[in-house]
Order: sequence, then structure tokens, then C-alpha cells
Amino acid sequence: MARIMAVDDSATMRQMVGLTLQAAGHEVLTASDGDMALEVLRDSEPVDLVITDVNMPRMDGITLVRELRRLPQYRGVPLLVLTTEASSEKKHAGREAGATGWLVKPFNPEKLLSTIEKVLS
Amino acid sequence: MSGYLASLAPAGAPTAAPGFEKIQRRWDTRIERWCAKILPGEYFVTAHDEAITTVLGSCISACMRDPHAGVGGMNHFMLHEDTSQGRSEWMDPVAGLATRYGAYAMEQLVNDLMKLGGKRDRLEVKLFGGGRILASLTDVGRRNIDFAHAWLAAEGLRAVAEDVGDVFPRSIVYFPATGKVRVRHLRSLAGSRIGDREREYLRSLPVQQQTTGEVELF
Repeated sequence: MARIMAVDDSATMRQMVGLTLQAAGHEVLTASDGDMALEVLRDSEPVDLVITDVNMPRMDGITLVRELRRLPQYRGVPLLVLTTEASSEKKHAGREAGATGWLVKPFNPEKLLSTIEKVLS
Repeated sequence: MSGYLASLAPAGAPTAAPGFEKIQRRWDTRIERWCAKILPGEYFVTAHDEAITTVLGSCISACMRDPHAGVGGMNHFMLHEDTSQGRSEWMDPVAGLATRYGAYAMEQLVNDLMKLGGKRDRLEVKLFGGGRILASLTDVGRRNIDFAHAWLAAEGLRAVAEDVGDVFPRSIVYFPATGKVRVRHLRSLAGSRIGDREREYLRSLPVQQQTTGEVELF
């Protein structure tokens, strides 16, 4: 099972995503914005996957993805975006920043887990 | 429009925030402001001194603003109908589709306020609606109120004012620039019409669920 970092400024969302992942046997770390996530991820054992929201205070999710891709240990780690944003412009920006995939809220727990399985394999 | 009426209204409504161009707005002579009218499932945010109005039956509207940034907005939603029985099931953050839909409606509003410069820890929240309008076994309005309270508590927010529950529909006008809300309790006759519209909205939710929640791998 994987170690996953879930980043969202909404406590409700962190709980929903966290419980979904834990129920599937994953180990979950959480952060409430991109800045906090980057700080934790930069100096610790790399996680297997990061799943991040886009609109967050301090550092948004697309910037987080771009920053993570600059770290050698995160060059090959799947980085998923989970957001209310569904526009092709935003998706394009996410892709350019180096995101692995884009999921639109409200999320479907089964779909989230199957996507994680797919990108981890 | 006659020349007389046109002369009362300013040339045009303030520029809508990106994504909100389709929300219907008209000049309201009584409040001397542009007024955006939102329907079930819609929301609106603004950085201007304009009003937002809606009519609520069992649905809930959260009015939120950041007084410091001068931005505010309002949503209008109802939880997805859940076939599960009892509070513990639908409040389940994972199993409860209802909760996921409600959290989405709240998050959309917060996100768009942040895009206009609002800060989530400065948000002033007011709650309205959740009346027992629809004749059904479960109190749909109560469920919506419970959800809104639980969501606010989890997010570390609190409603500074609310007018929720009871048996009547409400007409509300929100003034984000000042935070004031005008609430009018409507008679139950209006309630049946509002109830019809809400039932229709409730039926459309599963369809909306299918169009969102999409996954794209790059």
C-alpha cells in the first residue's frame, strides 16, 4: 500500500479524501495548502503519490506541482489534481506544470481509488 | 425599455466576475442596486456594491463575505437525495454522496471568493433556508441545515446570523458590501410552487453528478 500526501485547504475535503484512502489501506499525510505541503515533502522521505486541490491560500496546487517537479526525488512521482475547476485552460496549466492527472469534484471514491491504482502501477 | 425607465438605471451592471456572466441581473429600483438572481444549484460572487437574491424552500443559501477585501457571494443548494436511512449514513464523509455534494457547493463559493481576493479565515457567514417545505418522510430542510452546521464547524467557521428551519419558504436579498440580508417569510401557497421547482432540482442532481467527477490522465 502507498504513502499518499493529500493537500486541500478544506478540512472537510481532507477528511473525505483521507478516509477514502485509509479505507483502501493507504497511509495518508495531509497539508492545508501548497506551501505547507512543499515544506513537508521537501525534507522527508518521498511519498508515493501526491493528490492536491488547486485553489488554496498561500500556494495553489498548480504551483505546488511545478515546485515538486523541480525536486529530483519527485520527478517520477504521480501528482494528481483534485479540484472544482473543470475548464480546459486550468487543465492545460496543470498538465504544463507536470501533473499526472486531473479529477473534478465532487469526487467519486471508487473512481479516485481506481485512478490512484492506475497511476501507481 | 422606455426612456424614463432607462434613465433611472445606470448604463450597465458592474462587470461580472469571470464565469458569472450568465447569471441574470437586473436593476432593482427599490434597493437602487443591480441585483443578481440565483436559482437552485447556482451561486454568485461579486466585488461590487450589488445585491444577490433568491427564493428558498428546503434549500440552503450560505452568504459569505470578506469585509476586508470587499468581496462577497451566495450559493443556493440542496443535498443530493440519499436513500440511506438515518443521519449517520448520509453524514458519512465517504459513503454519503449527499455530504460530498454539499461540500462541493460550499467549496465552489469559497474558491471564487478567494479568486477575487478574499481570505477564507476572514469569511463572515450567514445561513438561510432549510424550511420544511417538501412533503416527504424525511425532513429535507433539516438535513440541509445539519449539513451546513457540520461543514462550518469542520472548516473552523461559524454563522454570525441565521434564519433557518420552520415551515415557510423565504425570499432573501443579500448585500455583500455591508453584509446585510433582507429576509421575507413567504406564505405556504408560494411554497408549493417553490417546492415543485426544488423537486425538479433534486431530480437533476444525479445528472449533474455524472457530468462532474470526471477523470483525465495526461
